[in-house]
Order: sequence, then C-alpha cells, then structure tokens
Amino acid sequence: MQRIFERQHFEGFIETVPAYNALAVFYDVAIIKHRYQIEISAFNFVKSFTEDLLAELNTGIVIKPEAIIIPVYYNGEDLESVAQQHQLSTAEVVAIHTAKPYRVFMIGFLPGFAYMGKVDERIATPRHAAPRANVKAGSVGIAGLQTGIYPLQSPGGWQLIGQTPIKIFDLQKKDPCLLKAGDNVQFVAIGKKDFEKLNEY
Amino acid sequence: MLPSVKKILKSSMSIKIIKAGAISTLQDAGRFGHRNIGVGSGGAMDVFAMTVANYLCGNGGQQPVIEINFPAPQILFEEDAVISLAGADFDATINDNNVPVWRTLLVKKDAVLKFKQPLSGAKLYLAVHGGWQEQQWLNSGSTHLKLGAGGYFGRALQKDDIIHCGSNKFLFEENKILPWQISLHELGRIYQPQNIIRCIKGAEYNLLNVWSKQKLKQNNFIINNQSDRMGIRLTGNSLSLKQSTELISSVVDAGVVQLLPEGNCIVLMADHQTTGGYPRIVSVIKADLPRLSQLNPGKVFRFKIITIKEAEDALMSMLQTLNEIKNACDHNLNKYLRH
Repeated sequence: MQRIFERQHFEGFIETVPAYNALAVFYDVAIIKHRYQIEISAFNFVKSFTEDLLAELNTGIVIKPEAIIIPVYYNGEDLESVAQQHQLSTAEVVAIHTAKPYRVFMIGFLPGFAYMGKVDERIATPRHAAPRANVKAGSVGIAGLQTGIYPLQSPGGWQLIGQTPIKIFDLQKKDPCLLKAGDNVQFVAIGKKDFEKLNEY
Repeated sequence: MLPSVKKILKSSMSIKIIKAGAISTLQDAGRFGHRNIGVGSGGAMDVFAMTVANYLCGNGGQQPVIEINFPAPQILFEEDAVISLAGADFDATINDNNVPVWRTLLVKKDAVLKFKQPLSGAKLYLAVHGGWQEQQWLNSGSTHLKLGAGGYFGRALQKDDIIHCGSNKFLFEENKILPWQISLHELGRIYQPQNIIRCIKGAEYNLLNVWSKQKLKQNNFIINNQSDRMGIRLTGNSLSLKQSTELISSVVDAGVVQLLPEGNCIVLMADHQTTGGYPRIVSVIKADLPRLSQLNPGKVFRFKIITIKEAEDALMSMLQTLNEIKNACDHNLNKYLRH
C-alpha cells in the first residue's frame, strides 16, 4: 500500500508510515483545500482517496524481496538467561534465531529501529520489567515474538542476545536507514574475529 | 572538513554566544518525509512564532531560527543585523535597554543581547535577516539532538559558539526598534484563551471508560515539569480504560495525547518518537500546538473536543493570520528600512 502511494497520490501528500496493522497518511490540509476546492474536510478527501486505492489493491500478489543478510556475534548479555528460561542451550537459541528470515513490520521507537518477526515461540521472551539505561548500538534483541536491532545507543528493555557489526543507521549516508518496512532480514551467526573485522561502529 | 561546514565559514555576518543558557537550538518548520525510517519532523515547538519571527526580519517563513528556553543565552553581535524576537517574553535588553517581543530590531555591531527574566511563555524565537546558517540533514536545518544531526553541529548552542548568517543589506545608524508591531488582536487569536486547548478524538478514544471521558472533557490538567521537546506531561487527572488492553504499536504525531499505564497523559511534541504503543486518546489540533508549547510547568488547562472539520478550519484561520502578518511585515519593512 505504501508503494502504491509513492506512485499515485494527491497534491498535498506528505508521507506514509506503515505500522503492524495500519498505514498512517500525512497530508497538508491547506494545499488540499486550495488545490481541490473541496466542500468536505481534507480528512474526508484523503480518507476516500485511500479507500479507493485500497479497493484497487491486488492482495493476490505477494512480492517476497530477497533477504538482507545481517551478521550477528551472539554474545548478548541476556543470551544465557534466555536459553535457561526456555531450557535450551545458547547454541540452540542461536540456531533457532537464525533458522528463518524475518519480516520488517515497522520502523519506529528510534531512527532506524526495525520491529521484525515473528520469532519462534521456543525463544520468545518478554521484555525486562525495568529497561537498561544504556543499550549499545548494534545490539540484537528479542521482545515477545519480535526481534530487533538497536541502531543507536539508547535506553531499552529488550532481551539482548547478540551484536551486529553492521551500521543499521548511518547519518553520513544519503539514505541513512538500512532496513525498511516490508524487507526480509536473515541473521547469520559470526565469531568474535569476524565481528571485529566487520565492525563499523 | 564537511562541505556544509565550509559553507558556514564563508558567510560574513555572525553572532557569538558569550554565555550559554538552557537548551537553545536551531529549528525550522521541520523535517518531513522520513518518518518511515523513524526520523520525526522535529522543528520549532511553536511554528507560528517561528514563522512570525522570520517575517519580522524580512525572511520567508521557513528559515531556521534559534529556539531559546529560559535561562537564555547572552549574545554578542559581531556585525550589524536586523533581528526579531517572537513567542515568549524573557525581558530582553540590547546594551541594557529594554527591547520588546514581536517587533523588528535593528542591532549595531558589538551590541549585546541579554534576557533578564521569564515574563510570559516558554519558547522564544530569535530570527535574523538572511537566516542563520545551519547544517542541513535530510532537507532540514532543524537540530536532531538524539542523532546529533542538523542545525549547529547537531547540538545545543554553547559558550563561544559562532553562528553565521546571511549578510545584512540594510543601512542604519544606531540600535533601534521599528515603530510598528504585530497586533495584539491577531496574537490573541493564536494564544488565547490560555486555559483551553482544542483537540479531536484519537484512534483509541473509545477505549476510555465513561468516567474518564467525562474527566477528560471537564477537568483541569496541569503541565508537569518533566516536559521537554519530546512531550508535555500532564498531571491532575488519572484516566483509565474500560479494560486493560495491550495495543500493537502504531504511528503517532505531534499533538497526540497518549494515556500512560499509571493513568497520566503525555502530549507528544516536536521531538516525539514516530511510533508508540500507548492508547492515543485525543490529539491536540495543529492550530493549538503554539499555545500549548508556550505554557510553562504548573499552568493549568482544559481540553475541548471539536470535530475534524473545526480543526481544519482553525488551521486555515491560523494560516490566514500568518498571511496577513506577512503582508504587514513586508509593507512596514519597505517603509522603514532602506537598502
């Protein structure tokens, strides 16, 4: 739906933001009112435009983008406790976490923070009740059925299982954000040496 | 050296921060089109005052301005400049002579701008003719403090910082306040009444229980001192849902009022996160965000729920006021300033 909006929209369209089960449409009320000389509210104009697009949306075709490979050094502070909670070895947690690609459902919370899922029930773990004051940039975590990567150092409550050497959000780049909603992500386990060699932070 | 830094150094006119205040940052109308990568709009908290500050010194409405909180910085002008102050009144002086807000000020080289005390409002905007030179990031000069991007090296202004701006093309002999001002009537339309903030129902309004809906419409809310550019926290009323619900995170915007688990509300402001998982009970209308952003901790207001149509009309009326102010500013600048 977001991609359709990129191709066909109205004057006064600003941007769309996809979430798990919603798409937010941002628009400029003044431009819409001026350009289309409408009697109804700009909100109703955008609503009916969006509903028409939805009706045309062919949900039969599912485009599966190629997976983006994210290397992870699985040394997270919570890896042991996640394994223990599920009566698994840490190697089994890693094997399960890397067993399938995840879909990026939404970017939010921090610039570039991708909410991905769904994580296998066998390693799904609730957030910490009290968030850590400082989670390192590049930390890979689990929260319930979701998995994600902290793009920046920040407070955070996710269960940390590993660290990626790849910069997920890079200010210096024209397109600073590596992941977009709808992308597929495949985590691949790497060792300490490879982590140090690849480390972009 | 980054190209944007070179550009900054080339300019002729500049100011120097001789004493840092609380947080002062460069802000413009905001950074749009990047919420899908988690980068919110940011920008001035009070876009109305920011725009008027620009008009008062002959700029288009979109130039970056300095958003000042109290305690405010002390500023030395290293060249002649045409400036303006808009928004909050911090009892400004230039070379120890009082200068008012909402006016065009002519400032000679070596003049010092100081602020004595907060008289009213919370956010003061300092604009200069030609605009402050800022670092653009994702098409905006607004300072993104968390990422350290945009504005003045991505951070708040500090002592000894030098901020460059477009060169002054006007001639004048002494520090002067131009003899005309923005009408109080027009300002009143934006900032009065202070104790009523209009909003529309939010996506999760109907999750509130009946008592909470009543409280939301009738009771006073108090602005808490934990408020900042990310959000204004409200106390005084504890609201609750019909039944406790775990929501899936969704998209939020400036003005959205989220109900926090302990029962208090937060109004998301310029530097809010782009998504959130708390119930969005109401949303402050765009036309009342300037009024809300000028309320200091301890101030009290009521919400008034209006329709989307009324919210759009209020926004159009604010834009109309801005347009009238722009015309008046252009007219008067032509009358009193010579090139």
